[in-house]
Amino acid sequence: MDIQAIGAAKKYASARSATEPAPSQSAGDYLKGITRDFAATLQETEETAKAAMTSGADPHTLVQALAQTEMAVEAAVTVRDRVVEAYQEILRMPV
Amino acid sequence: MSEFSNSLSVISSALQAQSQRLRHLSENIANVDTPGYRRKTIAFHTVMHGSETPGMVETGRVRLDQSDLLQIYDPTHPMADEAGNYEGSNVNLMIELSDAREAQRSYEANLRMFEQTRQMGSSLFDLLRR
Repeated sequence: MDIQAIGAAKKYASARSATEPAPSQSAGDYLKGITRDFAATLQETEETAKAAMTSGADPHTLVQALAQTEMAVEAAVTVRDRVVEAYQEILRMPV
Repeated sequence: MSEFSNSLSVISSALQAQSQRLRHLSENIANVDTPGYRRKTIAFHTVMHGSETPGMVETGRVRLDQSDLLQIYDPTHPMADEAGNYEGSNVNLMIELSDAREAQRSYEANLRMFEQTRQMGSSLFDLLRR
């Protein structure tokens, strides 16, 4: 009986390392990366738009960059709306 | 970046290639009466650079059509030879116009794909809204 309990404890200890969550970057780092990507997309579009206005760059590139920025902004706004909504939901919690 | 922006880059490269094709076609049509002009053709091929999005299309080198130039009989022309003929261009307006129509159709197809990609992207985010 005792030996069985010790064996079970050992098995549990050995299995625990397999069920641990994989070490990953924290949520803060992840968000930072996304924000940097977002800012880079916006900056690229601004550069393209400036080039199209001043030196007559290819309009296809401009349209593509604008569409990409539109998608990025839409994603950011949607995520922000969800975060604010969740926050308000917490504030409305009866204490 | 996401697959959506990848396909936007591919579509934009295709639009660029088709407009370049149209430019060479308009050069051909503009020079239909130029003596000795050979029509220009361009080939499309997939971009093979490592840094670019896979599947992008680009236009290759301009080639000159080597078919025979049209012999025009006009003894008063300054370039006429002893027999009174001079060499015109080898542009066939019928071919150029149908090629231009094809370029337009391809351009429209790519524009539709662009619109489709944008719509798919925005309807994905619509799922999160209420």
